[in-house]
Amino acid sequence: MTLGARVGVRTGWSRKSGQERLVYRLLLPVFGTVFVLATIPFVMAVIEATTAGAKGFVGLDNFKVALGNPALYEAVKQTVLYGAIALPVEILGGLGIALLVHRVIRSAALRAAIYVAAMLPIVIPQIAVGVVFRLVYQPDYGILNVLLGRTGADQLLWLSSPPLALIATASVDIWQWTPFVYLVMFAGLQTVPSESVEAAQVDGASSWMQFRHIELPYLRPLLLLVVFFRLADVVRVFDHVYVLTGGGPGTTTQYLSLYIYRIGFQFTDLSQASALAVVVMATMTIFYTIISRFLPADRG
Amino acid sequence: MQHTRPATRIATYSLLVGIAVLFAFPLYYLIVTSLKTKAELFDPVPSLVPNGLNLASYQSVLFGRGFIGLLVNSVIVGLSATIVAIAVAFAICYPITRLPASRRLRGFVLSWALSLRFLPPIAVVIPYFTIIRTLGLYNQLPALILVYTIFNLPLAIWMLRGFLDEIPLEIEQAALVDGASRWQAFRHVLLPLSRTGILAAVIIVFAFDWAEFLFAFILTATPQAQTFPVGVQGLVTQFEIIWNDMAAAGVIAIVIPLTLMLLARKYVMTGLTFGVIREK
Amino acid sequence: MRLGKWFTLLVGAMLVGSACSGAASPAASAGASAGASAAASTGGGGATTLTIAAVQGVEDAGLKALAPMYKQAKGVTLNIVEAPYDNLYSKLVSTFQANDATYDLVMMDDPWMPKFGTDGSLTDLGSLGISRDADIADVVWDVGTWPPPRGPVPPTEKSKPKQLLGVTIVGNVEMFMYRKDITSTAPASYDDVLTNAKAQKAAGLTGYIIRGKATNPVVADFLPILWSQGGDVFDENWNTVIDNDASKAAINFLVNDLKATAQSDPGSTDAADRDKIMANGQGYQSSVWPGEINTAVLDPAVTKVKDKVAFIPIPKGKSGKGVGMMGNWLLGIPKASKNAQAAADFIKWMLQADTQKTYAQNNGIPSRTSILKDASLTAANPYFPVLADALQAPPNWRPRTDQWNAVETILGTELNKALTGGQTGDQAATNAATQIRALMKSKGYTP
Repeated sequence: MTLGARVGVRTGWSRKSGQERLVYRLLLPVFGTVFVLATIPFVMAVIEATTAGAKGFVGLDNFKVALGNPALYEAVKQTVLYGAIALPVEILGGLGIALLVHRVIRSAALRAAIYVAAMLPIVIPQIAVGVVFRLVYQPDYGILNVLLGRTGADQLLWLSSPPLALIATASVDIWQWTPFVYLVMFAGLQTVPSESVEAAQVDGASSWMQFRHIELPYLRPLLLLVVFFRLADVVRVFDHVYVLTGGGPGTTTQYLSLYIYRIGFQFTDLSQASALAVVVMATMTIFYTIISRFLPADRG
Repeated sequence: MQHTRPATRIATYSLLVGIAVLFAFPLYYLIVTSLKTKAELFDPVPSLVPNGLNLASYQSVLFGRGFIGLLVNSVIVGLSATIVAIAVAFAICYPITRLPASRRLRGFVLSWALSLRFLPPIAVVIPYFTIIRTLGLYNQLPALILVYTIFNLPLAIWMLRGFLDEIPLEIEQAALVDGASRWQAFRHVLLPLSRTGILAAVIIVFAFDWAEFLFAFILTATPQAQTFPVGVQGLVTQFEIIWNDMAAAGVIAIVIPLTLMLLARKYVMTGLTFGVIREK
Repeated sequence: MRLGKWFTLLVGAMLVGSACSGAASPAASAGASAGASAAASTGGGGATTLTIAAVQGVEDAGLKALAPMYKQAKGVTLNIVEAPYDNLYSKLVSTFQANDATYDLVMMDDPWMPKFGTDGSLTDLGSLGISRDADIADVVWDVGTWPPPRGPVPPTEKSKPKQLLGVTIVGNVEMFMYRKDITSTAPASYDDVLTNAKAQKAAGLTGYIIRGKATNPVVADFLPILWSQGGDVFDENWNTVIDNDASKAAINFLVNDLKATAQSDPGSTDAADRDKIMANGQGYQSSVWPGEINTAVLDPAVTKVKDKVAFIPIPKGKSGKGVGMMGNWLLGIPKASKNAQAAADFIKWMLQADTQKTYAQNNGIPSRTSILKDASLTAANPYFPVLADALQAPPNWRPRTDQWNAVETILGTELNKALTGGQTGDQAATNAATQIRALMKSKGYTP
């Protein structure tokens, strides 16, 4: 508690009420521990990003190398396209389905069943998800082209024509992660007090008004959570893309995570990979600062 | 929804059914693939139904390859890490939602928690490897429990905070006025009221722990501490993909959490009775 | 807003703090190696346990079969820990970097050798009593020697003494397969390959199955073609020649001529897909690794081409030679291992002729010439004699540089792009050459 005591003196905390003191007494031991535990690896990543093997500290050199590589911008562009396809569908779709189920399905057992079902795509190992979708999309023996063939439609090269490969990889993301958005949003909808909703319905509010003015405010912190989880996860997609396309055709599906992996382990330049990761983190932080202004997590 | 026209209702239901079909198809195909023999999988034209109920892949995954030991590790790690993460998240959320914490402190804790998710894992995997070895936890289950706890704090903290925020302070204060201690008020008033939130968070956090591969792979060396996804990864080798075993592994990865929930169905059903009118 | 400001401040503080704490890292790594000794794997009761990092798949099948025999013969337990191909590489990189002592023996693909040799991660096997044996092809020993005894040597490695760092346990050379029931004579050259491919395409088969998935797979399929046609990636002085005329012609041969006879989607085809096409009888010819033969192409459970496929060395190209590619799996001993001598004793035991024979009977791919030519083994493994000849030929190895994975990634990406119609073969050559040149220059290989 010495740290707490020092902080207290500095901020004039000793004059505050016992309740506020309790905040720190409860928060510091646990939060302090995880803060330190989670910060050490980050600091080590920053050290790696600013050093180069035997040469030691090299300042921002690794960042210059990392940002000077034209392949990075190709990877960023493709990642943005991937995110632009997957994220709106996942977030709006997940939210929409959560609202639909919330309003239409009344049976508690069915609601619990749907909730449990939505967990399934997340518990399957990523690599197995990739393999199943390879059995769906592979042009020669994938089930999708077989089914298309039965309807007389053209067989499509799902994995090696640039726009289709982008869509195929993004569709896996959508399948796997829309349910996650649903899980969070549906749970969030349960915090909306039913009397507010009933009052609005009595006042004749439309479904949209009910969502906009009553439910959305309650969902805002969770929506922020979901937006950032999905944004951060677009920079993590790996296994299903690796199994489906290996980054091809060309560099079409060499998304940022695959790019950073290749820099780190194929080009064996962990310093540059760490620099890239720090840049990603800084970018996400900027996004966070901007978006949380428009979508404040706290009401009032 | 009581006043909607039948046409709208039908449209809504068809939409939900359509989504359910799209959602279920890959799961269905996963199961079908797990029941096929290698010969069926080599057929030039794949079929939508297997020739028979061939369970050899399950036998191969669980016993032939010995993944059953990995499953045990996964369950231990998943449950422990989930419990610890939720407990830690609760300990962090309680003071910032139920007590008069300053906005700055609250904002700092929440932003920091979310930021844990911002750094691509590839950059921290080597640092974590070094730390875990320094702590002497390399190739041991506690290493994974520790790391997964940290990784799931963002989700756990933000979900719990969303629920705790909506429980009126007055309820707890009423208990305090009645002479309950803070611990009693927490244990008998707050905890029961936040159970939906806790359970929702438990399910998602467990799901994340259950499927994690990268750290499980780097922080372990032998099957004694490896988890299921680490074993499953090996079913894609340099020259072949063992399709049916892979699919069987996918089904097993689904069945275990489902079974756990069935075992805990009393809690799941009372916890997930979403929409029960909450007393204010 | 305030929230965001605090947060930005925090990140800033971390950045500053990290600069100061740089000094702390040597202490941390010292602690790490201390932890390593605790992890050394000595089983209870004084019996030795050797932990082996192995690649998952057909490559370690023989090794797994030998483990119980070794336990019985020498009382040493072999603890084989498998990881898939890509993951094994990153696992070894991180393990060696941390000087961790978990593994006493590691399986390595031969193109990884330069990385681990350059980094000094492995023990000299010569000092542990392992030496060359005339019954095992020279190239098998050469590929495990660092710095490489022939071909260009990386500039940083020229002054190092030559050491044997790895011994081949899976003799693996890329070969060629074709349907001998359709054409009775083997293709003598890549011209024949193309002629047959066109004819069989017209007859409704896949004329030549291209393994064209981005990066490693397409490069593995392409290098034998490149070398046989007289092209190369580097010359003797590490100058990039992937865009010279012969190399360009070889690229165009793959992405234009062979592609016209290939399956519908070569750009996403990996070995598993190729083997499916071949085993189903839908394909006429392709390159092939020994590891693909018994698990797929000729697997009795799936094959429709039993006794219909011949395995031959890579056909001759414009260079006048057919050049196979080596993909040997080596066994090495990490410097950090606490059981180096016991590990070396296992390697010696494994190389004995009788062990090699048992190994071959259990899906292992031996490297001993006398075993490969052993008539009692050829029935089950018709390609063994071809493999023995291919090893004597000798086959090419991938350029001995720790940058090979990077080069392969560049070349494999550009080839895949050309194969999927995103650019021409000439453009692929030029783009790959530009990037590889810049890479080799930045690493000090060329002025």
